[in-house]
Amino acid sequence: MSELIKEYLTRLKTALAGSDPATVQDALSDAEEHLWIALQLAKRETPEIGEEEVIASAIERFGSAEEIASAYSEIESRGLPVMEARGPAGRKSSSARFFGVFTDPRAYASLFYMLFSLILGTFYFSWTVTGLSFSIGIIVLIIGLPFLGFFLISVRGIALVDGWIIEALLGERMPRRPIYLKKPANWRERLNFLLNDSMVWKTIIYNIMMLPLSILYFSLTITSLAVSASLFLRPVLEYVFDLPLAQSSNWSFWTPGFLMPVSVALGIIWFLMTLHMAKGLGKMHSKIAKKMLVRD
Amino acid sequence: MNTENAANKKFRKELKSGTVSLVLLSILNRSDEPLYGYEITKNIDSSLVGTFRMGQGALYPVLRSLEKSGLLSSTVEPSVSGPPRRYYRITGVGSETLGNWTEMWVKTRDFVDDILKGNNDV
Repeated sequence: MSELIKEYLTRLKTALAGSDPATVQDALSDAEEHLWIALQLAKRETPEIGEEEVIASAIERFGSAEEIASAYSEIESRGLPVMEARGPAGRKSSSARFFGVFTDPRAYASLFYMLFSLILGTFYFSWTVTGLSFSIGIIVLIIGLPFLGFFLISVRGIALVDGWIIEALLGERMPRRPIYLKKPANWRERLNFLLNDSMVWKTIIYNIMMLPLSILYFSLTITSLAVSASLFLRPVLEYVFDLPLAQSSNWSFWTPGFLMPVSVALGIIWFLMTLHMAKGLGKMHSKIAKKMLVRD
Repeated sequence: MNTENAANKKFRKELKSGTVSLVLLSILNRSDEPLYGYEITKNIDSSLVGTFRMGQGALYPVLRSLEKSGLLSSTVEPSVSGPPRRYYRITGVGSETLGNWTEMWVKTRDFVDDILKGNNDV
């Protein structure tokens, strides 16, 4: 990222000191998005103009850090008039919140992540453990150090890609690009940098942790989905496929007819609870990922 | 002089707080596709500075606030280079609200115009 944009974001952050952290994050990401696009477009349209000039004029049109900070603070202090008047989103009753999850795209995306995470977790774990042990194993050979370097770079790549997946599915803002680093002079310097980078080691720990975590997410989600499906589909299972609720060699238990609607209703409620659980796990996982994969 | 400036500033601020939301809703209502902040601000760049004396950046908190109120919805799309873009589109409630606000705006504008014209005639 351009130094001038970085500087502006730092000024904006200072000007927003004391505001709600979410507001600060919103303000910074809005400003970064806007100035970056302005810079890219200007570069494309008039490549002969210097970057500094372009950014300076984009910042001027965007507004001073103080002006923008006060715009966010003002809106924050104004609250949500429409919401208060109408009473949806913010002050939903607990039952509306419980059933509302059915139409919440974020819940389905989290649910998908919980299932998909098993593949990711297995891959991250295998890649990291294999890469790490292989690198250590061949470190005395001539290809040892380059291989270690390649492995450490790949780990940073994984952190970035995982951030994209988490942002897309769980909605947690994660870094979009690798942090810009000055090009190291040579291989040795580069390797040295990677070995001393705490982010690389934190990502390695995260990748290893992903296996047990993803097994937990997957098992909880798939079990919960299976329970809700078996409750919801009870009438179909019993009346169409002749599958009793419980069975042994000499007896079988069939759900009494009057309990069928209860079973279907329970299935729906269980599914909604599964969605809530997936959302909750998603939030928890985003926090873990942010802690482990994002540079402070 | 200073008092006059302060009075103008205050009046402009008071006018701005509702009209900017109306303008943003209207732009998003007219667009068939979701728009990201930069596209929206580009449309009204010169009017923003001229009429409201505000930077493009001051529109973003309004967009966020409209979204929190349920009048807009947004999705974050990754971009090949650079930070992700937040695309906004108007919601059903937003369109309905825009209709009400437009009606209120037209009534207010006509009323103020009448009064101002009346004053001018005197």
